[in-house]
Amino acid sequence: MSDSDQFNGRMGLIFASIGAAIGTGNIWRFPRMVGANGGGTFLVPWLFFLFVWSIPLVIAEYAMGKRSRTGTIGTFRIFAGRRFAWMGLWTAWISTAIGFYYAVVSGWTLKYFQLGISGALTGDKVDTTEVWNAFLQSPGQVIFFQFVVVLLVLGAIWKGAKAIEKVNFYLMISLFALLFLTLFLSLWMDASDGSLDGALFMFTVDFDMLFEPEVWINGLSQSAWSCSAGMGMCITYAVYMRKDEDTVLNAFTMGLANNSISIIAGLAVLSAIFAVNPDPLATVTGGSSAITFLALPEVFAQAPGGAIGPLFMMAGFFLALSFAAITSMISTVELCVRNFVDHGYDRERSVLITGVAIFLFGLPSAVMWIKLDSAGVAFPEFLEVQDHIWGYGLMFSGLFIAFSIWKYGYIKWRKQVDEGTAPDGLAGYMGLGVSAFRDDFINTGDNDLEVGRWWDVMIYLAFPILFVVLMGSYFTDMIANTENVWDPSNPKGLSIILLFWGVVAVTFMFLNKFLIARPLFRNIPEGADVDISSLPGGEDELVVALGEIVPGFEHLTVKDGVLEAEITG
Amino acid sequence: MMPTATKTSPSGAPRPSLGFLICLPLLLSLASPVAGTVAVADTAITVAPEDVWSDDYNNMIFPWAPANDRILQFKEYHTYETMKSRMLRLAEENPDIFEYHEGMNGGTNARGEEVTANAYEGWFYGHASPWMKITGDVQDGEYNPFVGDNGNYADRHDVMIVGNHHAREWMSYTVAIMQMEVIAFSYDNIGYDNDGDGLIDEDPWGDADGDGILDDDGDCLRLDDSFQDSNGDGTPCGPGDLGVDEDYSEQWITDLVNSREIYLIPMLNTDGNIYDRDVYMPGQCPGEEPWDCSAAGWRKNLRDNTVTGVTPIPDLDESVDEGCDGVDLNRNYQFEWGAPLGATGPLFPGMCYAGQNNDVYNGPVDDTDNDGDGQVNEDHVDGKDDDADGVTDEDWWGGNSEPETKFIQDMTEMNDDTGDGASEFKATITHHSFSELILYPWGHCTDCQSPDHFQLMYHGQQLADMTQYANLQSSDLYPTSGDFCDWHYGVHGSYCYTSEIGTAFHQHEDDIDHIAVRNLGTGFYIAEIADSPRERADLEMANISQQNYLQAGDKVDIPSAGDVPIDMCVSNMFPYSESNSKVEWRMVKPSRLQSDYGPREWSTTEWSSASVERVDEACTTASGNGTILRAMIPVAEVSTGELHYKATVSTLTGADLYQYPANGDYYTLQITYRAAFGSFLGAMFMFTVVGTFVWGGLAVALRIMLNPEEDAVLEAELRSEVVGEPL
Repeated sequence: MSDSDQFNGRMGLIFASIGAAIGTGNIWRFPRMVGANGGGTFLVPWLFFLFVWSIPLVIAEYAMGKRSRTGTIGTFRIFAGRRFAWMGLWTAWISTAIGFYYAVVSGWTLKYFQLGISGALTGDKVDTTEVWNAFLQSPGQVIFFQFVVVLLVLGAIWKGAKAIEKVNFYLMISLFALLFLTLFLSLWMDASDGSLDGALFMFTVDFDMLFEPEVWINGLSQSAWSCSAGMGMCITYAVYMRKDEDTVLNAFTMGLANNSISIIAGLAVLSAIFAVNPDPLATVTGGSSAITFLALPEVFAQAPGGAIGPLFMMAGFFLALSFAAITSMISTVELCVRNFVDHGYDRERSVLITGVAIFLFGLPSAVMWIKLDSAGVAFPEFLEVQDHIWGYGLMFSGLFIAFSIWKYGYIKWRKQVDEGTAPDGLAGYMGLGVSAFRDDFINTGDNDLEVGRWWDVMIYLAFPILFVVLMGSYFTDMIANTENVWDPSNPKGLSIILLFWGVVAVTFMFLNKFLIARPLFRNIPEGADVDISSLPGGEDELVVALGEIVPGFEHLTVKDGVLEAEITG
Repeated sequence: MMPTATKTSPSGAPRPSLGFLICLPLLLSLASPVAGTVAVADTAITVAPEDVWSDDYNNMIFPWAPANDRILQFKEYHTYETMKSRMLRLAEENPDIFEYHEGMNGGTNARGEEVTANAYEGWFYGHASPWMKITGDVQDGEYNPFVGDNGNYADRHDVMIVGNHHAREWMSYTVAIMQMEVIAFSYDNIGYDNDGDGLIDEDPWGDADGDGILDDDGDCLRLDDSFQDSNGDGTPCGPGDLGVDEDYSEQWITDLVNSREIYLIPMLNTDGNIYDRDVYMPGQCPGEEPWDCSAAGWRKNLRDNTVTGVTPIPDLDESVDEGCDGVDLNRNYQFEWGAPLGATGPLFPGMCYAGQNNDVYNGPVDDTDNDGDGQVNEDHVDGKDDDADGVTDEDWWGGNSEPETKFIQDMTEMNDDTGDGASEFKATITHHSFSELILYPWGHCTDCQSPDHFQLMYHGQQLADMTQYANLQSSDLYPTSGDFCDWHYGVHGSYCYTSEIGTAFHQHEDDIDHIAVRNLGTGFYIAEIADSPRERADLEMANISQQNYLQAGDKVDIPSAGDVPIDMCVSNMFPYSESNSKVEWRMVKPSRLQSDYGPREWSTTEWSSASVERVDEACTTASGNGTILRAMIPVAEVSTGELHYKATVSTLTGADLYQYPANGDYYTLQITYRAAFGSFLGAMFMFTVVGTFVWGGLAVALRIMLNPEEDAVLEAELRSEVVGEPL
């Protein structure tokens, strides 16, 4: 069927997913976490949770998206049932709300690439704080670069999967190259004082610290955020999977590639800072934007190679950073766009609406509440508050995915028990119910790899425990460290988070009935149609393949010129 | 009668006089005039005592007597007789402030006992203790028929100063006599220039200006180094040196006399003192001066322990039985009298043994039914109602059996000027010798603290600073039961101090004058605080606590490894408790909540406490010397962030806590990463592990993906490499 959209090659999905996973978290958050959590010590929990948290969730996302062939709303409508379509709306909203300010942040990285390439950061007596403050305090500049990012992203996804694939491919390849260039220069710098102490620090395990819960919680949160696991990105990209795509192998490839980049970026950043900074760890553990935009330009300016080295290093690093940010931005916008398209909206118009919305709703984050911290460094408080409110909302997207899996397994087992084909009791549930999702949607025969029982353990046991630990530690930390944490007018408090979450969740639950009243168009590539009828939302008459005409909603397909054109073409 | 002390002893060479010693450097410099002029040319002008003070002062010739009166000039010891006649003379010459007494009239005492005047007379020689009532307009005021003194005023606080509980401790009555001389000379003699330097009242007792230096006017310190230690005790410009605390205010003394009733009892144990001087010491070392004799001397009174009335053994020896007789007066007071500490006596009445503790015999057990309830000794004097009959301490086991202690007891208890039933003596001091100590209650218990412990300690420290003696709780020296101060404090709440003067029982007579001078201020200090010693201590404590300080963050040296030491300087005048003081700390680390986009945010740990330990380094407070208390803060070497810390210093009892910095504030210290950044082998190992996992796994995954044919082969490999591992 020519009206469906899919990636060209196997690598397309990989690069798109890696592009989504690799973001600023790998390049500016990871080195800070390594610095603050005992160097090599941090790598232990971080790697552990890649396999315990991130990869199992990504496998689940791929499996769901590949089967539902719709964005997040449709996926939850099909997998969790009609009453739970709002969960997909939540997932889409959180991602988009983050996208509002993430575009601004991406703009910063682009600006710093521009500053780097123009040599504005390498001259004598450049005060990086002044440069940063001047930039952040000029709304025109910030908005301009935010606008450029939105334009680039819109251009990349305008044409759908094949364009996304192509853009991600080139950007990711360039990112690897640029990061390796930076790494090379960093190691050179670090080695020139006789020791690779940055590298040593990054790979030396302190066994005392290994027993501190703090390090493990930080490792979990780094793994949970930087990999984009459970955020709906992989559901969205799985929509464009070819029929024989291997969900498990893709998940491993994506997760490992993500961590590879983190290590390279971490090594580059730490080596450079350790090379020139007398108190490197104080720098590394400083505020995040501080290390990236204040410390690194200072460090890079001392790169070897006369005028060329620092220029290369600066420009290379910030270009890589902006590529990482833009590819993540692409997945964010696509996640939103996909949901529009699923519900019968024209792609170009959806892209445009999303782009404009992201730009407009991002404006406050760009220019509002630009303040100075105690060290005299500017920071965007509104943006930070947005991050504060929506950042942990992502965890619920992951919880909803797990919920769908749990629900499917239980329903299937109950049904078979009723039919007399499955044993009742705990043993029966453990045998059939728990493995139902894995049997039916992951190990479908398209995979090179079959997933074993371990995946069930992760989703049924490890995930809920870790979810509680993560949320629990986050909230207890917040309660312990925030003044007036319950004051709803405190933008950094807990009440405002719960308030926003509550309002959004209740609104979305209310909107659920409008969502399910609309037809849902599945993007099914040729020969990839698989049965969804056993799923809680699979029997819905309004769930159809893209291009089908739904009685009563003819306008959605008829009025859609592009679709029409593709059908006829 | 024992011959009075002579200048040289038959057996020893004459000791050079102090005056000669002082002049020796001067004589030497005169002998080499050339060197002298060179020194003058090169350095500051040499300042000698005669450049500053009068000749009389330089030679310690006191203004109250002719220079050649060796006893009144404190170049020889008073005897009982000379003391008594001097007291009579002083009372005669100063009738407005002095009233001489011996013993008391008696009558019905505070316990309802009928007492006659001879109850206070020594067992052996029959003298009652001579004492002087000192107050302004002593002939006016109320007359106390029991005590027999005039000059009782309800608004004047009573002070008791007692010397010579122990017969051989000669400096103990000498200091009291000198105080009497000073009062007599100074009263209404306003503005007298004691040292003849042209200045008046420029250097009172103690560290008057609070700079930690006793020599407030700095005249001693101005002297050439060789003149600064005139008393030869090794401490330049210490107490007792010329020029230190030498010019007190006569106005202050006059005011003190006018506002206090001072009961000055220089020689409580007349029996013992006479015996020690006239019989015991000559018996031990015939023909020698007592200070040249190796015998310690006679300590107790002269109770005849073999006469009991119940023993069938007749007391054949009417003279003093040195192996048996006598009671240690300073173990004979009733508070916590007797057992178990340090005082044992005859096992049976009339039986006598010269055991080790015979010198501290506390007197006979009381076998009377003191309250007439048919029971004997059922309520020991300890401040508690032992028999729960509603009356406290009414039937004692013993104590106050001696004329001398009865005298102290009745004088204390019969001086109720205000008629409120409570003793008027809020502060008391008893002089002893020797050891250079100031002792405060308790004496009867070890590892215990009195309710006023830190206030008592505070005033003790003042006395100790004044004399440069050591201040300690009495029982920390050795436990004593039934001593003067435990009784005074325990029964009457009086702030009571024992000063252990000098370095010998029979101090060499060359040292009488400067040791007496060194200890002169203590009696005045006690008189001064007698109005409200507890409140004075509390107020001063609060002031002194201000001098303590905690090391601020920029003063802390962070070691390259190990815990971080935080120092606290505590004034030596502050009675701190090491175990109750602490440094509280918390770490402020970069927060896990830290936004990825905003400034650095901090997470703060709970306050934890670290104990402090005294270190042997001095520190300086705003006005004096201090002690360093150090807390070792267990900051991990891998920690970064801020250390917040504050200190709480407790007084000894823990009753008062002072915080540094004040008002709940704290200091901040930036902690940097101090550990090694890593080890090569460890890093190589971890790098290999991580590389194998991440890049190896990635390579395998990509290979499977791109070479579908090899799926089956690689599947197993991948399982073991990647999938199998985390499980």
